[in-house]
Amino acid sequence: MDAEALVNDYLGRLDAAATSLPPSRRAELAGEVRQHIEMALAEAGARDEVTVRNVLDRLGPPDEIVDAERQVDDPPPGWTLAPVQASAAARSPWGAVEIAAVLLLTVGAVFLPIIGPLLGLVFVWMSTQWTNRQKTIATGIVVLILFLPIILLLGLSAGGAATSGQL
Amino acid sequence: MDIAGVVLLIPLAGILAAVYLVAVMGRRPK
Repeated sequence: MDAEALVNDYLGRLDAAATSLPPSRRAELAGEVRQHIEMALAEAGARDEVTVRNVLDRLGPPDEIVDAERQVDDPPPGWTLAPVQASAAARSPWGAVEIAAVLLLTVGAVFLPIIGPLLGLVFVWMSTQWTNRQKTIATGIVVLILFLPIILLLGLSAGGAATSGQL
Repeated sequence: MDIAGVVLLIPLAGILAAVYLVAVMGRRPK
């Protein structure tokens, strides 16, 4: 069974289990669960059968999700955010930490050379909105481009010292 | 490359990283 068929099968079982919910809430729940699955797959960085099965296992059986939905404030295992919070977070992933990270990496890099981007990276690693892979790539970009001019500067000052020593 | 050119590269590091992070955030599934 391929990944998409697994997701559809899971959503089908969820829909069947949710017959006792009001139709509007039933459709909303299906949308939220699909969104949660898509986000988990995007964070995992793969859509193969094993990854999809792991994500669905973490979500728990559809019956449990529906039971928890009836008890509103009691989320099932693996459901890290309450549905309302999850959809709000999906609408705007930009929190204070993410905004501070981007500001320090851009404006901070101009006004606080070296310290600004490094502080920005601290905020990047504090954020839960980026995956570890994305954080590593961003850190790699900063380190590579930051160390290149530092090495060049050291080379220039060493060259300057050598030149003045000759005079 | 003179010192001014080297100093100009420093903000570029943060800006490129920020552009990457904003781009990946924009690609997140809605």
